[in-house]
Amino acid sequence: MRFVLPKGRLLKPSIEFLGKAGVELDLPNGRELVSADGRVLLARAFDVPVYVEHGVEVGIAGSDVVLERGSDVFIPLELPFGKCRISVAVPGERKRYPEDMDGFRIATKYPRIARSYFDSIGVDVEVMKLHGSVELSVRTGIADAIVDIVETGQTLRENGLVEVAKVMDVSALLLVNRIAQKVLFDEINELVMKLRGVLDGGA
Amino acid sequence: MRYTLRDYLRLAEIGNRLRGTFELWNYREIVFPAIEEYSESIRKGTKFAHNNEFYVICPDATSRIIKDFNNGEARLYYISEVLDGEIRGVWEAGVELIGGREPDMYVEVLSVLITALESLGIEDFYIDVGSVKVWEEATRGIEPFREEVRRALLTRNFGIIESLPISAGRKRALWRLFNFRGKRSGVEKLDAIVELLGDERVFLDFGTVRPLPYYTDVIFEVYSPRLGKPLGGGGEYLVGNKKAIGFALDLGALLKLYKGRERKRHVLMGEPGEVYRRARELVKMGIPVEVRP
Repeated sequence: MRFVLPKGRLLKPSIEFLGKAGVELDLPNGRELVSADGRVLLARAFDVPVYVEHGVEVGIAGSDVVLERGSDVFIPLELPFGKCRISVAVPGERKRYPEDMDGFRIATKYPRIARSYFDSIGVDVEVMKLHGSVELSVRTGIADAIVDIVETGQTLRENGLVEVAKVMDVSALLLVNRIAQKVLFDEINELVMKLRGVLDGGA
Repeated sequence: MRYTLRDYLRLAEIGNRLRGTFELWNYREIVFPAIEEYSESIRKGTKFAHNNEFYVICPDATSRIIKDFNNGEARLYYISEVLDGEIRGVWEAGVELIGGREPDMYVEVLSVLITALESLGIEDFYIDVGSVKVWEEATRGIEPFREEVRRALLTRNFGIIESLPISAGRKRALWRLFNFRGKRSGVEKLDAIVELLGDERVFLDFGTVRPLPYYTDVIFEVYSPRLGKPLGGGGEYLVGNKKAIGFALDLGALLKLYKGRERKRHVLMGEPGEVYRRARELVKMGIPVEVRP
């Protein structure tokens, strides 16, 4: 069974959580992306659901990227780390709430989530996809507001932005490939039960 | 996925082999125009507006059949690209059997599916058969929670069911169904299908779910351990008040498993007039030829 894990902030807690359940994994060396035994693959956080959808048996990714990617994967468990939220933020001096953002240009790494959120409240906005440092878009005036991940709010504050609405809570998720669930039925069920044991405080 | 010219040639080869199998089973090919007037009853397709009217390009074939089928019984198949809001879609080969007797119609369509894959040289596959009604029955009395149970099945997250305010006994029963995979379930109709098929690759698996809304009971999914995505799937639905069952195969998935089989050809060489006259005679008899002038 192979695991695809996200490089970045979720990697360490993922390894620790799996370790608590008795799943010991050797990480790739240095800048390598695949471990020596081939069991661990490291991918960009945004790409983890895609790898799982297309054949890697198990993965861990944030619920933000799973929703944004719309990947067809099983999600048997929500994990107790990677907690944050996706929010709408605007410059502090031009504070507006989402209901008043008709015609706004919204910069985001999450165009699908942003589009779906504004559609759900019936506000017509232009969504502009960016790949990172989304705060820069409002500071330079190319966007009116952003939809982005907020953990502590410090990045927003340092860039003169204020959070005006929460779009969704985010948490790390365990992902399982749909076919692997069938082909490795017992193995995957055993893994899920072990992880649930940790969640329930049984390990 | 962006295909190369070689991929398209191989897709066509796969389509032709499937076409041959479907015809052998007495199914007739149906072709649709690429563009159709928009209708709420037609699924998928990429929408666009033209002259103040809405249209869809390459929508789902089954919903087009359901919408326009008038009466009677039919054995139909199609091979077409299906778009879903994008400019590139999925090439699908599908079969629809409308009308017939239970359990014969299930056994027939699954037999067509098995032989279609075998005609491509794909033998290492499994078909998991599930049931919408089994879950309806299992959630009788807790109807307000059916959507949560469905969400639990779609994501395979039993925690969703565990958090419901229902009895422990009911949770245990749902857990058993959630993990049931075998040859005999105690559900007469489903057991009969597996028994009549008599194929070791066919299982009952109540964890099987299909995303389409029109399935009424039996559903199935076909997959290979060599590929992390399903090869296809299908299920039972209603056309008017008539029972129907069909499946669709993802040709892109089959392309990854298909090794190709060259048909033996009669090679002809020599003086062109004579060679082509002889070639015409052989082709009339259905014998494949290769002319090397």
